Amino acid sequence: MPSDLPNKIERDLSVGTAWLVVLATIAGADEPIHGYEIARRLADDAPEGLSFKQGTLYPMLRTMEADGLVRSTLVPSNEGPARKCFTLTADGKRVLAAWVATWRRTNRWVNTVLGEIDVR
Amino acid sequence: MSADERIHEQTASRDPIRAYVRQLAAELDGCDVALRHDALIDAEVHLRSAVRAGATAERAIADYGAPAEIARAYRESTGAGPSLAAGASTPPLGAPPNAAAQRGFGSIPIIGVWAQPAAWGGLLYFGALGFVLAICYFTWAVTIGSLALGAMPLIIGLPLLLLLLASARGLSLFEGRVVELLLRVRMPRRTQPVAGLEGVGSGTRLGFWKRIGCWLRDVRSWMSLGYLLGNLPVSTFLFSVTITLVVLSAWLLAAPVFYALDMPISQAAPDDGFVLESLLGVESDGKIFLTGATVVPVFLMGLALMTGTLWLMRGLGFVYGRVVQAIQVARPQ
Repeated sequence: MPSDLPNKIERDLSVGTAWLVVLATIAGADEPIHGYEIARRLADDAPEGLSFKQGTLYPMLRTMEADGLVRSTLVPSNEGPARKCFTLTADGKRVLAAWVATWRRTNRWVNTVLGEIDVR
Repeated sequence: MSADERIHEQTASRDPIRAYVRQLAAELDGCDVALRHDALIDAEVHLRSAVRAGATAERAIADYGAPAEIARAYRESTGAGPSLAAGASTPPLGAPPNAAAQRGFGSIPIIGVWAQPAAWGGLLYFGALGFVLAICYFTWAVTIGSLALGAMPLIIGLPLLLLLLASARGLSLFEGRVVELLLRVRMPRRTQPVAGLEGVGSGTRLGFWKRIGCWLRDVRSWMSLGYLLGNLPVSTFLFSVTITLVVLSAWLLAAPVFYALDMPISQAAPDDGFVLESLLGVESDGKIFLTGATVVPVFLMGLALMTGTLWLMRGLGFVYGRVVQAIQVARPQ
């Protein structure tokens, strides 16, 4: 087995799920949420042994904005430069709803399959 | 090493966040300048937020990711996002609107410019919107600037000057959005912090007058103001050139319509000696009509002129967009 395979599998798996959890975090915020706060909530909720580099969040948010899933506004801050705060667009909400449904179906399926195997 | 470089090195050694941003900047060398600009601002704002929230700078940097890794994420972000690649209705992040321009003009067949959004965007920008906006910017800058200078001996002069500088930065950002939309040159998404204020909140407390000093010393404030003032003559010239070329092209392209409806294409005194008009058709009572032999060449002339005009718009848009981009990404001195 190539030595890098486990890392590759983790990377591939994390790309889609990172998008999902970022969208869900924005959706779950009561008001427009800035990048640092998203990263903080994700880090707080991340299970032990699973981490993501917070800096990768920003290119992801930019992609989402270009895809029309989130909208950003610059909010002046007394403590430093203006912060970019994000909310979901109507398209973003639709995509998230579809994604959550897909995720739940996939999750059930994967758990069912994994529940029947015995890895030694 | 120059004196400036030594100062930067000393600052970086005292401030790990500054050092990290410099490393990230080095990793992003060769990237689109707007993307690089945004990446650096994202990193600095995030890391300073983390430090304000109680993390050490070293911990915040470790959580943020190695510069090479983050730079790679930004470079890769110019592709489509996961699961959306097929269905995305808008260009994905970074799918730089100016991607076609970056491929180079030579890769497009000459007539292909008719299908280039950047060329038509340039036509709309230079032939209408840019000129109108330039008048608005100039009027605003001169009005508030005059008021500010006139009221400088009074207490209201300084707030007016600061309003003018702040609005200049805001309008410059707005102009960037318009330019990106029409001229397809990518603009940064993040505002450049006012020089000297970017570290506020990391333990540094600046007084009111020092904050004002930062605004007045920041070269970007003045560059933006210079843009508002200097843009009008440039836009006026480009507007005149664009309208002239478009009207002339449209006139020539309409040759078959003039011919079919038996309408004169122009009117001239029989002896005014205007060579072009006398070449176009047969004069009759001062009216110039196209003949069957001239209508096609005249139409082709119009086609060639309009194609050239679209190329000109595309080229001007590319250069003009780069100028606006340079103002937006200029680093504070």
